[in-house]
Amino acid sequence: MNFFPWLTIIVVLPVFAGSLIFFLPHRGNKLIKWYTICICLLELLLTTYAFSYHFRLDDPLIQLAEDYKWINFFDFYWRVGIDGLSIGPILLTGFITTLATLAAWPVTRDSRLFYFLMLAMYSGQIGSFSSRDLLLFFIMWEFELIPVYLLLSMWGGKKRLYSATKFILYTAGGSIFLLIGVLGIGLYGSNEPTLNFETLANQSYPVALEIIFYIGFLIAFAVKSPIIPLHTWLPDTHGEAHYSTCMLLAGILLKMGAYGLVRINMELLPHAHSIFSPWLIIVGTIQIIYAASTSLGQRNLKKRIAYSSISHMGFIIIGIGSITDTGLNGAILQIISHGFIGAALFFLAGTSYDRMRLVYLDEMGGMAIPLPKKFTMFGILSMASLALPGMSGFVAELIVFFGIITSQKYFLMPKIIITFVMAIGMILTPIYSLSMSRQMFYGYKLFNAPSSYFFDSGPRELFVSISIFLPVIGIGIYPDFVLSLSGEKVETILYNYFYR
Amino acid sequence: MEHIYQYSWIIPFVPLPVPILIGMGLLFFPTATKNLRRMWTFPNILLLSIVMIFSVDLAIQQINRSSIYQYVWSWTINNDFSFEFGYFIDSLTSIMLILITTVGILVLIYSDNYMSHDQGYLRFFAYMSLFNTSMLGLVTSSNLIQIYIFWELVGMCSYLLIGFWFTRPVAANACQKAFVTNRIGDFGLLLGIIGFYWITGSFEFQDLFEIFNNLIYNNEVNFLFVTLCASLLFAGAVAKSAQFPFHVWLPDAMEGPTPISALIHAATMVAAGIFLVARLLPLFIVIPYIMNLISLLGIITVLLGATLALAQKDIKRGLAYSTMSQLGYMMLALGMGSYRAALFHLITHAYSKALLFLGSGSIIHSMEAIVGYSPDKSQNMVFMGGLRKYVPITKIAFLVGTLSLCGIPPLACFWSKDEILSDSWLYSPIFAIIAWSTAGLTAFYMFRIYLLTFEGHLNIHFQNYSGKKNSSFYSIKLWGKEEQKTINRNFRLVPLLTMNNNERASLFCKKSYRIRIGGNVKRGALITITNFGTKKAFSFSYPHESDNTMLFPMLVLVLFTLFVGALSIPFNQEGIRLDILSKLLTPSINLLHQNSNDFEDWYQFLTNATFSVSIAFFGIFTAFLLYKPFYSSLQNLNLLNSFEKRGPKRILLDKIIYLIYDWSYNRGYIDTFYSISLTKGIRGLAELTHFFDRRVIDGITNGVGITSFFVGEGIKYVGGSRISFYLLLYLFYVLIFLIISSLLLFFFNF
Repeated sequence: MNFFPWLTIIVVLPVFAGSLIFFLPHRGNKLIKWYTICICLLELLLTTYAFSYHFRLDDPLIQLAEDYKWINFFDFYWRVGIDGLSIGPILLTGFITTLATLAAWPVTRDSRLFYFLMLAMYSGQIGSFSSRDLLLFFIMWEFELIPVYLLLSMWGGKKRLYSATKFILYTAGGSIFLLIGVLGIGLYGSNEPTLNFETLANQSYPVALEIIFYIGFLIAFAVKSPIIPLHTWLPDTHGEAHYSTCMLLAGILLKMGAYGLVRINMELLPHAHSIFSPWLIIVGTIQIIYAASTSLGQRNLKKRIAYSSISHMGFIIIGIGSITDTGLNGAILQIISHGFIGAALFFLAGTSYDRMRLVYLDEMGGMAIPLPKKFTMFGILSMASLALPGMSGFVAELIVFFGIITSQKYFLMPKIIITFVMAIGMILTPIYSLSMSRQMFYGYKLFNAPSSYFFDSGPRELFVSISIFLPVIGIGIYPDFVLSLSGEKVETILYNYFYR
Repeated sequence: MEHIYQYSWIIPFVPLPVPILIGMGLLFFPTATKNLRRMWTFPNILLLSIVMIFSVDLAIQQINRSSIYQYVWSWTINNDFSFEFGYFIDSLTSIMLILITTVGILVLIYSDNYMSHDQGYLRFFAYMSLFNTSMLGLVTSSNLIQIYIFWELVGMCSYLLIGFWFTRPVAANACQKAFVTNRIGDFGLLLGIIGFYWITGSFEFQDLFEIFNNLIYNNEVNFLFVTLCASLLFAGAVAKSAQFPFHVWLPDAMEGPTPISALIHAATMVAAGIFLVARLLPLFIVIPYIMNLISLLGIITVLLGATLALAQKDIKRGLAYSTMSQLGYMMLALGMGSYRAALFHLITHAYSKALLFLGSGSIIHSMEAIVGYSPDKSQNMVFMGGLRKYVPITKIAFLVGTLSLCGIPPLACFWSKDEILSDSWLYSPIFAIIAWSTAGLTAFYMFRIYLLTFEGHLNIHFQNYSGKKNSSFYSIKLWGKEEQKTINRNFRLVPLLTMNNNERASLFCKKSYRIRIGGNVKRGALITITNFGTKKAFSFSYPHESDNTMLFPMLVLVLFTLFVGALSIPFNQEGIRLDILSKLLTPSINLLHQNSNDFEDWYQFLTNATFSVSIAFFGIFTAFLLYKPFYSSLQNLNLLNSFEKRGPKRILLDKIIYLIYDWSYNRGYIDTFYSISLTKGIRGLAELTHFFDRRVIDGITNGVGITSFFVGEGIKYVGGSRISFYLLLYLFYVLIFLIISSLLLFFFNF
C-alpha cells in the first residue's frame, strides 16, 4: 500500500534538520528561529498529511508499519508503526512543540543549542510514541531525557541545577526499572530475545513474574507520569524551567508516562493489570485530592500549576485503572486535553512572569488593568483547567466518571466512595485555580517598576495562546474528534481482559 | 405548527454570535471595537427580541395544545456510551423562555444607560448575552448532562459578572465565593446525575421518569441509595437557588453591577434551581423523604432570609435576602407538591424583584453623583431618605414593586403568594404558621427599605452638622485609566484602601458606621474627580432622576407587575373555569394534594386573602411605626437610635429587638461560621499537605541525595591516594582473612 517510509522520516527529520543548525551561517538569531519554526511546521504538516492519507480510523491494527533489521546479533529491529492509541499523542507532540518553539522566541542565549535541543526532543518524543519495539521504545525514552536535562540546566531559573539534577536522577532511576522490565520481558521464554510488541502482546507469563514486570514498568512510568509518592521532581522542574520547556514538559513529557502505562502495562501485562487496577484507582483518587490541596498551599505560581497538573493526572490513572471502554477513552481524552491546557497555562504563567518578575502569588495583584488580553486568556484557560463544560477537560473528566461507575470489576460501595472522593477534587480545583487567577489579576496594586514592562500580549503570544485554546474548545464541543481516533484501539485492548 | 417546534433548537444559539464577536473584537481589534460601543447593543437586543417572539409563539402553541416536544442528536457515539444533545419543549420551558427573554431585554435596555460610562461596557454586554445563551440552553435542555453543562455555564457567567469590577478586592472575593459555593452544589448535581444514570441507565427526562417509576413500583432499587442520589441532585438546586446551607453567596453577589443583580441574581439564574426541581418533580415525588426535605429547606430559607433582611444597611443586600426568602417560598411550594403555585410565584416574583432591583439601580445611580462611587456609600440606605421628591418615577416603580412583594391585592405577588400560603395550611400547620408570619416580616422589611429610602429627608445633607472628621477615601471607584493616573500619583492611597477593606470585611459594626457618616463629600470629590464629566460631584447637590432609557424598562416592569397576576384569574370558557396558567400547566401537575376540587371555593379564597392581606398590613404598619421619618435631623441616621430613644420602660422588648438586629446584622453568624470552619479547614489542610509534601516526600528524596553525597565524600576520603593508608588497609584485610581462615580450618578439622 505505502512503501514510503513515512514514520521513519517523521521521527528522524527533526533531529537531522536540527543538527544542521550548527552549520548555519552566523547571522543572528533570526535565521535560526525561522529555520526551526519552518522545520517544526514542515514536520507537523508531514505528520498530518501522512496520517490523514495513510491512516484508517476503523482499523485497530498497526498502520504505517516499518520493520528494518538494525543490529544483527541480538535481533534489534527498527520497528515503528502507529495505531489509534499513539496517533493522538503524536499529533499533540507536533502541535505543542511547534508552539513551544514559537513561544521560545525571546530566548537569545545559545540559541543554536537551544533550538537544536528542542528539535531533538521532538524526535525523541515522536519516536517513543511510535516505536513498536520494546528496546527501541526504551532507547527513545532515554534519548529524550538528555535534551530536557540540558534545557533545564542551561536555561532555567535560579535553582536550575538543583532541579535539573533532581529531574535526571528521578527519571534515570525510573529508567533502570524500565530497562530491567524490558530485558526481562525480552529474554523470557525463548532463546532469542523477542522485543516486538505484537508477539509480546500474545505472550503469557507466570503470574508472579508478570507482577514483577508490572511493578518495574509501573515505577518507571510512575516517575514520568507522575504518580504520587514519586512526583516531587515535577514542581521543582516546572518551577525552574523556561516556559517553553515547561510547555513541552507539561504538554508531552508527562503524557509519555500515561501512554507507557496503557501501551505496556495494559496491553502486554493484562493479568497483572487487573490485579493492580484497584490500587491504581485508589492511588489516583488520593492523588487528585492530595495534589489539589497541596496546590492550594503553594505560593509559587508555577508550582501551583505544576501541582494542578499532577492532580489532573489522577484522572488518567483512574481511567486506566477502571478497565472499561469508557474509562480508557476518558483517560486518552484527558491525555490530549491536559496536554493542551497544561501547556497553555504554563505559557501564560511564564510570559506574565517575564513582565512581572514576581514569582510568588501573594506579591502579585492587579495585573488585569495593564494586561487585559493576558487576563482574558488566563481566565479562559483556568476555567478550562477546572473542567468547565464546553472545554475539553470537562468531557474527559465526565467520561472518566462514567467509566468508573459503569465498571464491572468493582462493587457498588467502593465505586460510590471513589466517585465521591473524585468529585471532592472537583470542588478543590476551582478553589486553587480561581484563587490563582484572583491573586494575579484581580484587585489592584501599584507597581514600582516602570510601566514599560507592562506591554500586553503581542500578536505572537496571542497567537500561541489562541491556537492552544481552539482545540481545547473544539474537543469540548465535539469530543468525537479524539474519541474517534482511539475508539477502535481501546476496544481491542480491552478485548483481552474479557475474553482471555 | 410542527415547524415551530422543529426549529426551536435555534433558541439558545440566537444570542450567541454577539459575545463571540465582541470577544474576538476585544482581543484582536480593541480600539475599533470599543469605538463602535453602542452599536453592539442593538444586535444584542434585537436577537433577544427574536427569541422572545419565538418563545411567545411557543407558549401560545402550548396553551392551545400542550404537548411535549423533544428532539435529540447524538453528541458522542461509542460502543459503550453515548451522550445526546437535544431540546425539550413543554409548558415549563415555554414559561421560562418568556420570563428570561422579557426580563433580559428590559435589563439590556436598562443597562445601556446604567453602564454607559463604564470602561467595561462592551465586556458587560458580551457577558450578558453569554449568560442569556446559557440560560436559554439550560431551560431547553433535554437531558441531565445538558442541564449540567449549561448549569455550570450560567455559574461561570455569574462568576464573571459578579467580578465585573475586578479591581475591587471585595468583588474578587465575592465572585470566587459564588463560584465555589455553586461548585459545591454542582458536585452534588453531578454525583446525583451519575447515580441516577447508574440506577436507570438514562439521562433523558422521559425515559428516566418512566424507568424510575417502574423500578420503584417493582421495588427493585435500594431505597437508601435512591434517596441519597435524589438529595445530591437536590443539592445542586439548593446552591443555585441560594437555599439555606448554601445561601451565603447571594448577598455577596450584589457586588456585581445592579442590572446583573436584577437579571441573574433575582429573576433568572437563581430561579434555575426552582426550575430544576420542577423539572425533576416526577422523580422526586415518588420519594417522600425528598419532598419533605425540599419543603423543610424551603421553610428554613423563608424564615432565615426574612430575618436576615431585617437590618441590612445596603439596599441591594436587603433585596438579596428578600430574594432568598421568596425563593424559599417557591421551594416550599414545590416540596408541598403544588407545582402550579411555585411556578406562578416564580413568574410574579421575577417581575417584581427585577423591578425592585432596577429601581434600586436607579436610586444608586442618582446617589452616586452625590456620595461618590463606592458601593459602601451609594448603596447605603443611611445616606438616602427623602428621595421621593427627587426621583418621583423611580419612587412609584419601587413602591409598586414593594407592594407587590408584600402581597397587596391587585399586584402580582399577592396571587401567587396567597396560593402558596393557602396550600401550606393543607400541608402542615407548623409550616403554615411560619409561612404566614414570614409574610408579615416580608411586608415589614420591604417597607423598611422603602421608608428609609424615599421618606424623610435626604440624610446625606445632615452629615455636615455632625462635624466629625473622616477619612474620605471610600468614594473611589477604581476603574478606568483616567482615574488610575490620579491613583498613581497618590501614594498614601494604598494603606487607606486596604484599611477600607478590612473594615468592610469586619462586618461593620455600628461604631465604625457612625464615623463613616461624616462629611466626606468634598474630600471625596477631590479624589474621585471623576471621568464622569457630566455628573456633578459637588456637595449639596441633589439626586437626579435617571434617564428615560432607564425609566422605560422600569415602567414596563410596572405594567408586568400589575397585570401578571391575571394569569391565574379564572375565566369562563364553555362552563369550565379555567385560567391561562392552569391550562398551561395542567398536564404537568402530578400531585396537587387538593387536586380533585375543581371548583374554586371563593369563600375560602376570600378568607385566606383577607387574612394574608391583614398580616401584610400589620407588617407595613409596624414598619411605619419604627421607621417613621423623624424630622429632627440627626437622630435616625442610625436605625438603632430609634430604639435607644424609647426609654427604659421597654428594656425587654428592646433587648429582643436588639438581638434580632444583631442576628440579622451579622448575617445570622453563618458566614462567620463558614469562614471559621470551612475556609480555615481547607487552608489548614492545604498547609498540612504542603508541609507533608515538602518535608516528608521531598525530604526523603533530598535525604537520599545528601546521604549519597556523604557516602561519596567518605569514600573519597578513604580513597585519598595515600600509599601508606592503602598499605595499612591491605594489611588489615589480610590479617582478618588469615584469622578467619585459620578459625575455619580449626573448626573443620575437629
